[in-house]
Order: sequence, then structure tokens, then C-alpha cells
Amino acid sequence: MSKTDFQDFQRAFGRHLRDPRQNPRPDGVPARRMAVYNELLFNNICGFLDSCFPVCRATLGEKRWRQLNRSFYRDWPSHTPWFHEIPYELVRYLNETTLKQPLPAWLAELADYEWVELAVDIIDCPIPNHASKGDLLVEQPVLNPTLMNLSYQWPVHKIGPDYRPRKPQPTHLLVYRDDQDKVQFIASNPVTAHLLELLKNSSLTGRTACLQIARELQHPAPEALVSHGLAILEQLRQQGVILGTHLIAAGTTQAR
Amino acid sequence: MTQHQKTRTASGAGLGFRRELIEMLKAGVPSEINFFELAPENWAGMGGKSAKDLRYFSERYPFVCHGLSLSLGGIAPLDESLLRRLREFMAVHGMTLYTEHLSWCADDSHLYDLLPIPLTENAVKWTVDRIKHAQDILGMRIGIENASYYVAPPGAEMSEAEFISAIVLEADCLLHLDVNNIYVNSRNFNFDPLAFMAALPLERTCYVHVAGHYVEPDGLLIDTHGAAVVAPVWTLLETAYQRIGNVPTCLERDFNIPDLAALTAEVGLIAQLQSRIGQAERGVVR
Repeated sequence: MSKTDFQDFQRAFGRHLRDPRQNPRPDGVPARRMAVYNELLFNNICGFLDSCFPVCRATLGEKRWRQLNRSFYRDWPSHTPWFHEIPYELVRYLNETTLKQPLPAWLAELADYEWVELAVDIIDCPIPNHASKGDLLVEQPVLNPTLMNLSYQWPVHKIGPDYRPRKPQPTHLLVYRDDQDKVQFIASNPVTAHLLELLKNSSLTGRTACLQIARELQHPAPEALVSHGLAILEQLRQQGVILGTHLIAAGTTQAR
Repeated sequence: MTQHQKTRTASGAGLGFRRELIEMLKAGVPSEINFFELAPENWAGMGGKSAKDLRYFSERYPFVCHGLSLSLGGIAPLDESLLRRLREFMAVHGMTLYTEHLSWCADDSHLYDLLPIPLTENAVKWTVDRIKHAQDILGMRIGIENASYYVAPPGAEMSEAEFISAIVLEADCLLHLDVNNIYVNSRNFNFDPLAFMAALPLERTCYVHVAGHYVEPDGLLIDTHGAAVVAPVWTLLETAYQRIGNVPTCLERDFNIPDLAALTAEVGLIAQLQSRIGQAERGVVR
């Protein structure tokens, strides 16, 4: 036997498992026994996908959902060894490939939204030091590190077997883990989404972030927007989206 | 970086750690259960409630790390990043034993289940190199588990017991003995489970699995871990103990999970068989 003959068998076995219709089972493998593997492996993949995407499954219907599961298993090479990342591979498959199967325009976004719930539930990130009662206007707000500030073209949070939208409807949502480790979902809006984006990617205080938005919007009364922004920030703190403010000043004081 | 724990080494009888069991276990871990086993692919790299639950138990009990994704006999390059994360994960939870299946689960990408390696000289060499590499990265010897299979790949150049023995000896690794897998394979391929077990390098056994299986209408046994352990498998375990002594043994239950009392009864049976062998060993010493 040549050096890699055993790998020829493995490749033939793998090809058949991914696409039994197009690839014959390897020579010398009985049909009954091969059927066991075909069923075990595909059911295994379906199990991982079913538990993460119940709304996609219910909304597409069993037949189309299983078709999608099969083409994913057949066509998308997954390299992650971590089982909780398999659903993310489906999201990537929907976003990064052109599928032959006709699917609703909103499916990729709905799948992303369902994946986010799992991702936020298990994301491993330390809680940064913060002053929970700090002044959100004059200091730099600290965001919940689990926060996903999401913007979709479709109302993904409303889609289900009883609601299949025909027209896009820009949708902003916040998903995060609260201090009880529960995943929370909040409807948001473009201004809040932008404000949170600014705070995440800069060292702006609440006030300077609001003033920047006022400039961008050419708002006639920037101070009115600041007070509106403060109300938003305080509400976000109450909800656990904002944890408080950075501790830099307090740290300096302590050092003295 | 999360703080590392002091190491805890498993002994006695243990149970597969599953999310479905956590609330029941929090109410009190039965004294029959000495350790837990988990699949790192289901737990490593996670935060939130999952991480806190695991931490709660790993601070109190030994855990064994039993992998599913390393693909020791697979084609794709050995996943070094998985191994490095495993090493860190094991340190964080004070684990001292890692075992994997003697199987493959990825050709060029993952298929996500355990498949049989052709029993050839080249497959021995290939797998031995990968096990050695894995052991180098983890900084410890690993245990390899005799797997269940439903297809015997054609072109075998040796028996399965010879294949396992050659790999264990050449890779200088340990044997993770799964007595249910021996039984399932012996029924599906008509061989004598006792003779098969006797031909394994049992002196290298670091860890044992016992589990239940499913019988299809046509008599084919499927290694589901979804039913109670059957009598012939208990007998096989008892026979194994006569050869290997008291080795830490885990009850695997992954489907149709019953209440904790039913699982504990089975774990208790493991402990009972272990205590008998303990007495026999002491008898020999006297």
C-alpha cells in the first residue's frame, strides 16, 4: 500500500458523507453500514444548527431548512474544532457564498441575529473596571463588553412563521448579557446606535460624543441634543448597556 | 488570563458533565461521583453562565478532558491552536488527563464525528507522529480511546488490537479503554470481546469508559450513550479491572438523560466493581 492510500479512503469517505448523491460510497463499504454514518453525521450537524436557529428553521419550513443544512455541510469547509462555533459557520456560509437554493432575502440577517444570541451568551470577556455611578456627560462612558450594537436591513426580531416581510425596514437592536448573565434584547434607533459606536471606538465623553453627533446632523440646538443624549445614556446605564464611566481620574487620585 | 487552579487528579467513578445535569448537581453531588468528564469542544473559550457553572464544579471536583475534535488519524494538519487552547483550559481547571479517540473527524475540513482509521502501517506512522506532536504541545502523555465503528475500512494490514498496540507503544501514549465500544464492535463484527480486550496494551490503561448503546431493529448496535449499561458490558468492565486494577472510570450518558438518581446508581455500580478489585488486590498483597 502506498504511503497515502489510507488517506485516499478517508477522502472518498468524506466526499460521500458530504454529498452522498454525487459521490459513490468507497469500494468495499457495505451500504447498510455506510447509511449509519450518513445518518449519524448529518443528524449531528443538524442538531447543532437546530438548537441555534429555531426561528430560521420554523420560518423556512423543515424541507427547505434541511436542504440548506445539507448544502452547508456539502459546500462549506468548516475549520473550527469548537462546536459552539458551527452555527457561525452557517452565518458565514449565508453571507459569503452564492447559494443555488432560492432563500428569502432576510434569511442571512435572521440567521445572524439568532447566532448573536448564542454568541452573547457565551462570549468570554472580562468586565472592565468602571465607576458605576460616574458622570456620563463629563466622563468617558464604559460600555458593556458583551454588547452587540446591531443594524439590519430587515426587522429580524419580528420575523417568524407568521411574519415574512416583503420590504426591508432598517432595524437597530442592542443585544448584551446583563449582570445576571442573561441575554437581553433592546430595540434601538439610528442615533443611539451611532452614539454607542462613537463611544466604543473613541475616548469621547458623553458630552463630546453628543456634540459630535449634533455637528454631523447640523442640529440647530446642540445643547438640546446633549440633554436628549444624556437621557439616552442614563437609560442605557439603567439597562446595563453602559456600565458606568472610566476610572482613570479616580485611579490617579488613589495613586496620590 | 484566568487564574490557574491547583491540579486535581481523577480517581474512582465519575460521570460525564452535561449542562442538563448542572441544576441537579448544584443541589448536591452524590457521594458516588468522584469526578466529572467533559468534552473541551463544548466548554473551552466560553464566558458567562457556562464558565461560572464549570468553575463552580472544577473548584470542587477533578475533571477529565475528553476530546472529540483533534482528529488524530485525520488528513488536515494537526490543530496546534486547539492544543494550545486545551493546555490553557486544562490549567485553568486543574485537569491532569486528556484523552482523545483513535479516529479521525476531518479530511481537509471538519466532518464533526468520529470515523474509523484504515488499519495500515502508514496510518500507524501517521497517527503516531501526530500523537507525539500533540503530547509535545500539551506537555503530557495523552490517552487514546478504542473507538466504536460501523465500517471496517478495506485494505487492513493488521488487526485492530495490533493497530492500537503499535500506536500506543510507538507514540508512548496511554490507553483509554472503552468497554462499551469493544462490546458494540464485537457484536457488529462478530468477534470475541474478551480476546480482543486481552490483546490490547492494557498495562497502559489510564482511564475507562462505560456506556449504553442502542440496538437497531436488524440487530446492529449503535454507540449512542443513550441507554443504561447492559449486563455483558458490566461483565467486560469487571474482567478489565482484574487485569488493570482500579483505574478511574466514567459513565458516559449523552442522550435520553435520566434523572440524577438513575445515573448515580450506575456510577455506584462502577464504584462497587472497583472496590471489589481493591479488596482482591489487598488480598494478593497479604
